[in-house]
Amino acid sequence: MTITTLGESLGTDAAGQVPVASVPPARQRRRSATRAGIVPYLFIAPGLALFALTVLYPTFQAFQLSFFDWKLVASASKFIGLDNYVRAFQDDHFWLSLSNSGIYMVLTVVPQIVIGLAIALLLARKSPTQPLFRVLFYLPVVTSWVVVSLLFRFLFSDDGLINFTLGDFLHLTDGSTPWLADRWTALLAICALGVWKGIGWSMMIFLAALQGVPTALLEAAEMDGANRWQRFRAVTVPAIWPALLFVTVMLVIGGFNVFVSVYLMTGGGPAGRTDVLLTYMYSQAFENLDFGYGSAIAVLLTIIVFVLSVVQLRVFRDRNGEGAL
Amino acid sequence: MRRSRWAALPAAARIILLSVGAIIMIIPFLYMVSTSFKTATYVFTTPPEFIPDPATTANYEQAFSTGDFGRYFLNSLIVATISTAISLLVSSMMAYAFARFTFRGKEAIFRVLLLGLMIPAIMLIIPQFILAKNLHLLDSLGGLILFYVAGSLSLNTFLLRGFFESIPAELDQAMQVDGAGAWRRYWRLALPLAKPGLATATIFTFLACWDEFTLALTLTNSPENQTLPIAIRLFAGSGNNAVQWGLVFAASVIAVVPVIIVFLVFQRYFVQGLTSGAIKG
Amino acid sequence: MKRSRLIAATAVAASLALVATGCAATGGDEGSSDEPVTITFWGSYGNGGNSAQQDVLNDTLIPAFEAEHPNITVQYVDVPYDDLLQKLTTSAAGDELPDLVRADLGWVPKFADLGVLVPLSQAMPDFQELADATFPGVLSTNLWKGDYYGLPLDTNTRVLITSQAALDAAGLDAPPATFADLEKAAGTLEGTGISLFADGGLGAWNISPWIWSGGGAITDDDMTTASGYLDGAKTVATVQMLVDLYQAGQISTGITGNAGATSTAEGLPGNNYATIFDGPWMNGIWADQFPDFQPIYAPIPAGDGGSVSVVGGEDIVLTASSKHQEAAMEFIRFTQTEQFQMALVPTGQLTVIKDFGDEQVATVPYLKVFTDQLATAKARLAIPQGSEVDTILNEELVPAFEGTVTVKEALGNAAKRIDELLAEQ
Repeated sequence: MTITTLGESLGTDAAGQVPVASVPPARQRRRSATRAGIVPYLFIAPGLALFALTVLYPTFQAFQLSFFDWKLVASASKFIGLDNYVRAFQDDHFWLSLSNSGIYMVLTVVPQIVIGLAIALLLARKSPTQPLFRVLFYLPVVTSWVVVSLLFRFLFSDDGLINFTLGDFLHLTDGSTPWLADRWTALLAICALGVWKGIGWSMMIFLAALQGVPTALLEAAEMDGANRWQRFRAVTVPAIWPALLFVTVMLVIGGFNVFVSVYLMTGGGPAGRTDVLLTYMYSQAFENLDFGYGSAIAVLLTIIVFVLSVVQLRVFRDRNGEGAL
Repeated sequence: MRRSRWAALPAAARIILLSVGAIIMIIPFLYMVSTSFKTATYVFTTPPEFIPDPATTANYEQAFSTGDFGRYFLNSLIVATISTAISLLVSSMMAYAFARFTFRGKEAIFRVLLLGLMIPAIMLIIPQFILAKNLHLLDSLGGLILFYVAGSLSLNTFLLRGFFESIPAELDQAMQVDGAGAWRRYWRLALPLAKPGLATATIFTFLACWDEFTLALTLTNSPENQTLPIAIRLFAGSGNNAVQWGLVFAASVIAVVPVIIVFLVFQRYFVQGLTSGAIKG
Repeated sequence: MKRSRLIAATAVAASLALVATGCAATGGDEGSSDEPVTITFWGSYGNGGNSAQQDVLNDTLIPAFEAEHPNITVQYVDVPYDDLLQKLTTSAAGDELPDLVRADLGWVPKFADLGVLVPLSQAMPDFQELADATFPGVLSTNLWKGDYYGLPLDTNTRVLITSQAALDAAGLDAPPATFADLEKAAGTLEGTGISLFADGGLGAWNISPWIWSGGGAITDDDMTTASGYLDGAKTVATVQMLVDLYQAGQISTGITGNAGATSTAEGLPGNNYATIFDGPWMNGIWADQFPDFQPIYAPIPAGDGGSVSVVGGEDIVLTASSKHQEAAMEFIRFTQTEQFQMALVPTGQLTVIKDFGDEQVATVPYLKVFTDQLATAKARLAIPQGSEVDTILNEELVPAFEGTVTVKEALGNAAKRIDELLAEQ
């Protein structure tokens, strides 16, 4: 009897399937050709109805607002077509926020994958200490974003622990770096929080995926004289490829949707230079009460993330024919 | 697991490497715990003190005695528990259908569902608020539960579909030959075999509901219906005023406890899954 | 977009908006009957972990009001200050505003402009009488397009706060009274590790006292243009003085938006900063957190324009959607009474009623400096885009402090952008 693992669920089973949007119907039919008439619709009906009512319908409304100069009151609101979008494209601060979101995404996704995978590899082998380490590395994931954002603002403050460690303890700097005073160092601090908080999450998924790596293949490769790196490349990576895809797609989406940590650590400051798309959207919508423009920014963000996700799915498929799509 | 390619790396070196990493991961956490036992005057000291001196439990006493902290805590517990249970049921049903049946519009519906992962939640605040009002769910725990369940459906369905798909189809077919209906196959076969997946989804969902701030603040008014993140935000006060770090962190430490308990309870199934998977490998 | 879609979209937006205004006309008079009514009141009295104000309101004032009006129940909801505006906006869109809001005085024109507030000067027969009793500076923040949409609830202003330790370090016998005193103190403080001054930003709340005391202005009196005022010679000279101090390391980086700089609330007692500008509420916070610290209050240092500070505070507004407007107005009247005003004085809320000024100082002596400062304090621009003005000032002035543009250029750019906002009126 075989019991599945998370790793396999992410695609190390025979058909190389992953839980990703676009599994071609043909392949689907091959493994589970249960035609059941109305039954599947009954299974999805409750969830889909709930989703349509509470997520899709509000999404549609928010999308419509992006075509209005929306002022809460009917007499003041008017349809302005694509003006909000044109405004975004001509707005320097929109581009700054977009680039900050992009920088955050790039700087957090790669370390979360690399470090998460490295720790997972170190923890893959069963040992008495494995459960303890798993909890320790997972601790940041379960701690509230609000709490850790306040905590990191405190740690990266001028008199905080980071400066103390770098200056008085390690003597790497003079210990008075004003981390949150400059766009780049502040983004670095925000990214540090993102990576610190996210490593445990990707580690967990990789750890599970690694359990599905065919040990027999690894042994065979070792007997053929393959070194550790070659075995990793030839056996491990293909086996965890779908997990890599899942983690990457989720982290890219999450990276572009960063909000709470920026809002609480710098508030977009100094002078808006660390604004990301969502903090900018928030201040437009809820401080300037310009909800039409705020909605347009959010729609653009959704489109960017959607396109990036599709591109990733294709790239991953091209790299690994048996993989994602 | 019989043999790891890391076996050649000396165990001691591995432990040291992991320990250094683990220390970096938990220092911020330890600092939070330590600060929660300090008086306000002693929060900012150079060098930072990890052992509070003098130590005080005053922050915890103040957190518990301020306003309706106990009520907020209980509300969070109720909302997070019920939302997680409903979300797991509903999304596992959807995931089962996507994993086990072929039906018209299947992949299109699934893609629409995934869109739920990409839409920024803040964009939906005003339409969702108006919807909650029309459903007469403003200022109620029921309203929070409805939106929390809806908000977690996409990720959970995405995650669980994979778990169900990797259960060998033959098991399903065998049960079907024995005359078991779809519901029975889902309930008696798929769910038990997907325990690690359900545990993972439970941990993620409980955390997300426990942690949620913006919707909770927007949809609820009365202290009887508000949740813990709001209480912590009230302690933190405004940017203009002095943040009482000791108090904020004491409240935060209290808030983290249930999440860790849920993790410890459910990671048991996770370990089980890993071990079983390893046997297969 | 297809035509039918367009119509559908318009309909949805219109219905969303209609919901917001639909009840404006139905706000009825139910307070005069003996039917028990509950009115809700949102505010941010909670003030972080310091619950002194909230306790007075919940434990003393509201019970006193309810005893006098047995058919009215008042439900106060405390909302975190930083999130109150978001909650108000969303609730306004959904027509779910409470009856009464304790609104930051900068928000009154914003919401008045959206049509969700009742013009009290029309709705309350006794409005003029109540208004005449209040300080004109804070009353003026309620005026929008000819009507008053609220009454002052509490007021405050910023004064110079220092400590004996800082004065000793700066070699001063008394707090710096003029710009010249300040610059002299900066020289003495050099090398002590104590910064002369600290503040949390460069918005109107922060920078206005400097500009006005230096003899400059932000706009003309009729609020039609900023050019020629915000970039006038006196404003430029004043800001230049600050920039020079900043570049000499005498002003903390918190002023240019460094979220990691020691906050003014901690830096003054901690002797990181010699002086700050802040409000009366700090007294209670320090008493809790730094019991040994003795703040010294003094007027804003005078420049060519004298000692002029900025008016802060909150107004109480009645929402158009309130179903119990009479009862709510009864509570508004209660907020203007001696009982209400004087109960909050010890918690650092200054009274808005002129006649209570002396009693206020007699009750709480440290409020004398604040009360005197209020006599000349001015209000910020009362326009719906107040938050955009703050954004503009921060965005344009930070580069000037960092030395990448000249002060003259920075203020000129800010003036142009503010002109555009003023032109929208």
